[in-house]
Amino acid sequence: MSEAGGRPPEREAGGEQEPPPILGTWRNLYALVAALLVLEILFFAWASRLNR
Amino acid sequence: MTPLDWWVLDGVLAAFVLYGLWRSRGERDLTDYLLAGRSMPWGMVALSVMATQASAITFVATPGQGFADGLRFVQFYFGLPLAMIVLCVTAIPIFRRLGVFTAYEYLESRFDGKTRTLAAALFLLQRGLAAGLGIYAPALVLSVLLGWDVRLTCALIGGLVALYTVSGGSRAVSYTQALQFTVILGTFGFVAWRIAAGLPQGVGWSETVSLAGLSGRLNALQTHFDPNDRYNLWSGLIGGFFLQLSYFGADQSQVGRYLTGRSVAQSRLGLLFNGLVKVPMQFGILSLGVLVFVAYLFSASPVWFDPAARARLAAGPDAAAYHALEARQQALDVERQARLAVWLAARHGRDAAGEHAAANAVLEAERQQADLRHEVTGLIERRDPHANQSDVNYVFLTFVLGHLPIGWIGLVFACVFAASMNSSSAELNALTSCTVIDVVKRVRAGPWTPAAELWVSRLVTFLWTAFAVAFAESASHLGSLVEAVNLLGSLFYGTILGIFLTAFYLKRIRGTAVFVGALVAEAAVLACFHFTHLSFLWYNVVGCVLVPAVARLVEALSRAPVGSTERSPR
Repeated sequence: MSEAGGRPPEREAGGEQEPPPILGTWRNLYALVAALLVLEILFFAWASRLNR
Repeated sequence: MTPLDWWVLDGVLAAFVLYGLWRSRGERDLTDYLLAGRSMPWGMVALSVMATQASAITFVATPGQGFADGLRFVQFYFGLPLAMIVLCVTAIPIFRRLGVFTAYEYLESRFDGKTRTLAAALFLLQRGLAAGLGIYAPALVLSVLLGWDVRLTCALIGGLVALYTVSGGSRAVSYTQALQFTVILGTFGFVAWRIAAGLPQGVGWSETVSLAGLSGRLNALQTHFDPNDRYNLWSGLIGGFFLQLSYFGADQSQVGRYLTGRSVAQSRLGLLFNGLVKVPMQFGILSLGVLVFVAYLFSASPVWFDPAARARLAAGPDAAAYHALEARQQALDVERQARLAVWLAARHGRDAAGEHAAANAVLEAERQQADLRHEVTGLIERRDPHANQSDVNYVFLTFVLGHLPIGWIGLVFACVFAASMNSSSAELNALTSCTVIDVVKRVRAGPWTPAAELWVSRLVTFLWTAFAVAFAESASHLGSLVEAVNLLGSLFYGTILGIFLTAFYLKRIRGTAVFVGALVAEAAVLACFHFTHLSFLWYNVVGCVLVPAVARLVEALSRAPVGSTERSPR
């Protein structure tokens, strides 16, 4: 399995190749974390508009 | 506090410590003691990582910050999820593949002994002093509010931590953190519900949000770029990213927590969970402070929240001026509540013009209150220019003492003690790891029996605890040095991170080049500190960028052939 960021697969070491329990690949899980951050920032932008 | 609160406080703390001692059984060797046998599932890793970062001051000062300054502090954490991703891709697989105990151990295999020594020394210096302050800061607040001696409070926190950290090491730390952190979050959730439920009739979710927005407390996002302002989108995303990358990637307090994971995947999941929930959690704690602000709009509040400062002013030469400010505050409380009643009546009567006028009147009362607090600050400064001129650390617990039901007050105070124990225990475990692995076992090489390793590790943990408590007890006499120690982290983190990023990504750079780069970068950071007003978050960027840049330059100028003596990363 290729790592996010294009790193080549390396030898098995303590579960390095183990897939995450959800979303299939680590790359997808990283994307989920980043996407949630974007959503949070958008929510905070909306909340800031309620400021007087 | 009532007797029931004292029983709850004592009982909960005793239960936490007994649980830690119970989890201390069965330590067989150094891997068990320093890394919990590398056996933890991702949930435990996540809770441990979060509990280590969330000290008592997080739970005491962050609501105070929400009360005084609104939600803007949440931006400080925007870089954290991105840092978690980078560490999952880079640091965790490398540390796990090498089987290291400490992050600095890796630097010797990648560079040389002197680079490892430099990084380990910077960590021991910074974290050793910070561990003492981590005990002192909450002990000061708790001692003032409970009427205890601050030295006794420091000794109590240190003693409770030592009981299970010395005997059980990393495993006891992780399990106790998980239990305590869960109880803390549950308790704070209840407190938020209780405050919301205790607001006057007619004040619901919509009115609470309107009042918070009216007073400017919903300032969760500020997009203007100002390098001298630590809380905006850009300093949070860029400066915060480098700060969190340094803290989680190069500070053994955190590296030691996620290396307890039973595999690369479990360590990764622990960090990613932290990345998912950290920003919402900080938002929640800040919102609790905003809720306290709204609750205080409808009830009487002290003109200054630090009771010790109030007592000093009342007994000092400016007593008359201070009592006059108190009287004005009481009159303002009555006037503000009358204006709020008008605002609520207009809002519920759908009288838009009346609501707007009443809102302006409430806002004016709020401005007058801010002016009063500014005048108190002036009195405090006049009496002692070096005195603490902020009372945000006291806002939340003062509210708890005055407004929460019997029994719950004791539980909240137990949670503050527990939060202090959480972060201190992880720091002491990390200091032990670094001292034993990066110092003791290098100075005294040779065969060690597992029993001898355990005995030495327990002794080192005890000595670090004693040092932290002793430093905490003398912290009140250090004056401005306390501020200097607080700055140590941000002064060194960038350089240490620069060393690690060079190790991870610039394969052709060798030990001497990165060592010179680190010294130059550290000098530049210190120059920024002394000669500029740059916000400390940006020191991490300066240090981190300069280390690889200077190292590349030194490497290019070096005439030795690259590759012949290079120690490539394993």
